[in-house]
Amino acid sequence: MLLGLLQCRPVGSSGHSREAQPPPPPPPAGHSGLPHPGKSLPLTAAAAAAVANPGGPVGRRKGHPWGAEPSAPAASGGCEFRRPVVGRAWDGSFDRDGIGSAAGRMERVVLSMQDPDIGIKMRNQRLLITVIPHAMTGNDIVEWLIQKFAISEEESLHLGNLLVKHGYIYPLKDPRSLVLRADDSPYRFQTPYFWTSSKWPATELDYAIYLAKKNIRKQGDLIDHEKDNYNLLHKRINHTWDFVVMQAREQLRAAKQRRKGDRIVIDCQEQAYWLVNRPPPGALNVLERGPERRNCCVSRVQLPENADYYKREIECCRKGVGRARVKSSVCLEGYVKFSEQYMPHDPIMSGCLPSNPWITDDTSYWAMNAPTVTVPTKLRVERWAFGFGELLADALGRRQLLEFLKKEFSAENLSFWEACEELRYGEQARIPHIVDSIYQQFLAPGATRWVNIDSKTMEKTLEGIKMPHRYVMDDAQMHIYMLMKKDSYPRFLKSELYHSLLAEAVVPPETKKRVFPFMRKQRHSSPSPALLPPAGEPEAKAEDPTKASGAPAEP
Amino acid sequence: MVKEECKALLDALSRVTACYRHMVLTIGGTSDSQNLREELKKTRQKAQELAVANRNKLTAVLKDKAVSKEDKAEFERLWVIFSTCMEILEIDMRRALELGQEFPLNVPKKHLIQTGMSGGTSGVAARAMSVQNMKYEADNNIDVVDLKDLENEINQVGEMMYEMEMKVNVPQWTVEAKQDPGAELKSTISVGASSIGMISVENKSFCDISKVLAGIIFSAVLIIAIVLAVCVVKLS
Repeated sequence: MLLGLLQCRPVGSSGHSREAQPPPPPPPAGHSGLPHPGKSLPLTAAAAAAVANPGGPVGRRKGHPWGAEPSAPAASGGCEFRRPVVGRAWDGSFDRDGIGSAAGRMERVVLSMQDPDIGIKMRNQRLLITVIPHAMTGNDIVEWLIQKFAISEEESLHLGNLLVKHGYIYPLKDPRSLVLRADDSPYRFQTPYFWTSSKWPATELDYAIYLAKKNIRKQGDLIDHEKDNYNLLHKRINHTWDFVVMQAREQLRAAKQRRKGDRIVIDCQEQAYWLVNRPPPGALNVLERGPERRNCCVSRVQLPENADYYKREIECCRKGVGRARVKSSVCLEGYVKFSEQYMPHDPIMSGCLPSNPWITDDTSYWAMNAPTVTVPTKLRVERWAFGFGELLADALGRRQLLEFLKKEFSAENLSFWEACEELRYGEQARIPHIVDSIYQQFLAPGATRWVNIDSKTMEKTLEGIKMPHRYVMDDAQMHIYMLMKKDSYPRFLKSELYHSLLAEAVVPPETKKRVFPFMRKQRHSSPSPALLPPAGEPEAKAEDPTKASGAPAEP
Repeated sequence: MVKEECKALLDALSRVTACYRHMVLTIGGTSDSQNLREELKKTRQKAQELAVANRNKLTAVLKDKAVSKEDKAEFERLWVIFSTCMEILEIDMRRALELGQEFPLNVPKKHLIQTGMSGGTSGVAARAMSVQNMKYEADNNIDVVDLKDLENEINQVGEMMYEMEMKVNVPQWTVEAKQDPGAELKSTISVGASSIGMISVENKSFCDISKVLAGIIFSAVLIIAIVLAVCVVKLS
């Protein structure tokens, strides 16, 4: 796959004259490893953008940085198309709708079609009496794209469709269906004023003027959704409605000063513009789902592709290959296990006993699970068995652990760990003081609560203490943590203390739902605590949960 | 009296704005030419003159305390119309600048978009300037030279609008439109001098030509038939 990366397609046949039209070059032999490029693949606008960007840097495509997808034989843009974006200078400008964006690229394609020598062949459109120049068939467009960018017919059709959907080319025969047909249905270019651009969005005012003009021309016979929009706009911009009517009339009068052919063209242009910008309900709104908005950080300056550039790219690829990966099956297994384990503990998934305070206004749930409660709930005690982190995170659990460790004469480990936590998350100004106290209490030879750390870590820590900072005790702390986790924690779980805690733990009964609905307490928002007198706190003791169940606590 | 003057000025401004918008539409297309750029310049300057005149008149009236309530409401409505017109004009000027920069006329490498337009915009410009024929006297590189002026004028218009916002306090939402939805249809039928009337007249005249032709041919055939019949009768 790496080989395919650095292989370059020959630069596209942009120099071809009209007469000598060779068939599109067949894919080179080097690509035989990859699936045939003619296969259908979801060409994103990135692909189209790459195609339309001969030789310029291309933004990164979604997904793999190097084309795990077989890319169609894009033209001169083919190489960049598949390379990772690393090493591309970002000049910091968010080039929205400039030359670098997808809209800018579509504009470039349209501009290149105008060349009298190598642009698209124009025909005349013959209406009853008038002849209007500059029409082209769908087939012409597809052929020209194939020839210019040396792409497959499918890709060219897709690219042409993008151009039509975004309003750069509009169909003449069936204006409502913005689709490129590769036959002789006629198409024409849209005038630059009506090109879609996020800098100049179509305003409500303009739409209102257009609808008013259409109303006048069709004597009130608007399409349904246009009628609705018309009425809606009349309400919304009612204050300028008079202006809308005035301007509509004036614009129609101004248009009459032109030849008949031009007038027809102008009408078609406007209609096409509004079909793109205000599509009928149910039609795809291109403006919402525009071309994929990657960071338009494509700089206008092309990076010099010299040895340094390639060296950087190789380095990046090498790092990428060496990165450790976890199989998604393994990840997902772990995730599923976690979810299964924690599901009974999740108050939303499994409900909470006695009752959800947000629903029943009964705060006993919070009271029972407060950090400083005497009798913990059963779920809480069970959770301590899930992992050492859970035990330490719970203040009550930590206290119980301390009790246990005291019996085992290794309580200084936990104290040391707590002191290190204080150092890590404490005030900057107190750091030297804390480090000193830790040293005196735990690390100094002959200290009262000396912790057992291995010699290497001890040396390192003592060195670090000379220049104390927040993370100077990290190694020692980690050592002690692992010690506790591997040694004390399993014993704690097997201990009498823990089992007795489990036995004593309380399971709060569910609040009885009153049978008669009108007896149930009505839900109301509690009054603001600012209004309440400070006395009358809810019961902090959960000694009698039965009391809580029967009568919901008054706020 | 004052109301009629204000209305007339506003109508003129609206007309010029519509013509300007029409001309900006053609920039970059095949109808684009040095003449078009000159027309744009002249139209824009005319629009600015009208805008200034409108503004002076309307601000004078709105500042006048001696105006009755209904009149004041009417003038506020005209003011809202005026400010919307200026907004549209400013946007069109900005777009003209952008398009003018993108499509310079004398660069051989840059081609115009083949939009299918073949005629010129002199009629539109003449309507905007209220003259019979347009005279073109600018140089051959007005498309580039004009862009600087255009930038300055855009700034001027921007400043003017800002001043207007600051000085005159007319909340837009208090103005109610006089016209109901569909009003444009009624007046067009009644007045008859409006666009639809003229378009239908033109269409009719167009159809009339073919109808007249058909009628002439038919009557000619009929006459020949009668003559032949008479000859036959006479000779036999």
